[in-house]
Amino acid sequence: MILIVNTTSETAVTKKIKEYTDAAGIETEIFEAGEMDISHCIGCNHCWLKTPGVCAIKDDYEIILKRMIHADQIWVISDTALGFLNHRGKNIYDRILPLATMYLQFKGDQMRHIARYDKRADFGLIYIGDCDRDYLERWNKRVALNFESESLGVFDHKELKEAVACMY
Amino acid sequence: MHVLIINGSPRVKKYSNTDKILERFTGGLCEEGSGEGNTFEQYEISDKGQWDTIREEYYRNSNIIIALPLFVECIPGLLMEFLESLKVREDNAAIAYILQSGFAEGVQLRCGETYLEELTKRLGCEYRGTLVKGSNFGIRLTEGKARDKITAPYEEMGREFSKTGNFFSDKCRAFTGPEVFPAFVRFLLGIMFKTAGRKSFDKAAKSWGCTLPLDYRPYD
Repeated sequence: MILIVNTTSETAVTKKIKEYTDAAGIETEIFEAGEMDISHCIGCNHCWLKTPGVCAIKDDYEIILKRMIHADQIWVISDTALGFLNHRGKNIYDRILPLATMYLQFKGDQMRHIARYDKRADFGLIYIGDCDRDYLERWNKRVALNFESESLGVFDHKELKEAVACMY
Repeated sequence: MHVLIINGSPRVKKYSNTDKILERFTGGLCEEGSGEGNTFEQYEISDKGQWDTIREEYYRNSNIIIALPLFVECIPGLLMEFLESLKVREDNAAIAYILQSGFAEGVQLRCGETYLEELTKRLGCEYRGTLVKGSNFGIRLTEGKARDKITAPYEEMGREFSKTGNFFSDKCRAFTGPEVFPAFVRFLLGIMFKTAGRKSFDKAAKSWGCTLPLDYRPYD
C-alpha cells in the first residue's frame, strides 16, 4: 500500500495522483492532512520512554501513524518555506518517532534507533514552491536511513507522472 | 557584546536539554574577566506566548544565536513555524547556531548544519557558523555530576564565542568530536547498547511510570 499525506491545501495534486495510480492499479491511501488537526512534535519522548509507541499528543496524527506501519511507501506532499519544507510538512516527519524505539544499534558506521515494527516503508517527497532541491534530496535520503529504508526521490508537484512511476 | 539567544527547542524550558546547554554556554559567555560586559537575553520557542516578543527582539538585535535540537535531520517543525513568520532582514544582522542531538557522531548533524547556512541567507542575515555536538540525550535523564559532565564543556564554547563572535574557530570545530567512531569503538558500543544501554533506558522508563516493554507494539 502507498500512503500519501498531503499537508497542503492543493487537493488537485492528490486528485491527479489518484488518477495515475488508479490507472496503474496501484493501491493508495490518501490523507488530506491540510484539513486535519496535526500539532508539532513537542519532544517529550513519551513515545519512547513512557507510553512506548504511542504519542502523547492526541490529535489527528494518530490515524496516520496507525496506517504508516502497514505502508510499503510513505509520500509526503508539502509546501516549502525558506528553501525547505514548511512546518506542516516537517511536522509529519517529526511525529514519526513512535515508529522507532528508544533502543540503539549500529547500522553501518552510524547509530540508529531500533525500529518498533517489522515493515520498512520507503520515503518519497513532493514539494510545492521554491526550494533547494539538491538539499531536499540529501535530506530525504537521511530520513530514509533513519528508518532502514530507501529514498524514492524528491519531485516538484509538476512532475507527478515521474513521482507515480516510483510508486512500485 | 549583547546576544539575543533563541532556544528553538519545542520541549518546555524545564525539561529542555538545549536550555541546560545554554545555561552553561551563557555562563562562559558572560564570565567575569573574559566575558566582562557581555550580556544576553533568552527566549523560548516552546512558549508561543513569547513569540511576539521574540519577533520584536529579533528585529532589534543584530547579534543572534539560535540553539536547537536536531529533529529528523533538520530543524524542528515548531521552530520552522516561527521562522516562517519573519521578514527578510536587510540591516547586517548575523546569526550563529548551537545544534545539538542525541546521536553522538558529528556526521549525524551535518545535514541539519548545511540547512542552517541556507536558512540564514534566506532570512537575509550573515552566517556566523554552527556549533555542532551530539551525545546530549542523557541531559534529561541525569542530574548533578553526570549532567555536568555533558553540559560543562559548553562553558568553554561560551568563552570562545565571547572572543570571536562566531563558531568558525578550530576549537569550535574540534568540539564536535569524531565524525564517526572507529570500528573497535562501534563494536564495544554495540555490545553496550544490547546490555547496559538497554537496562539504563528500561530503568529511566520505569522511573517515568512506564509499565510496558520499550519495544511494545501498540498498533499490531
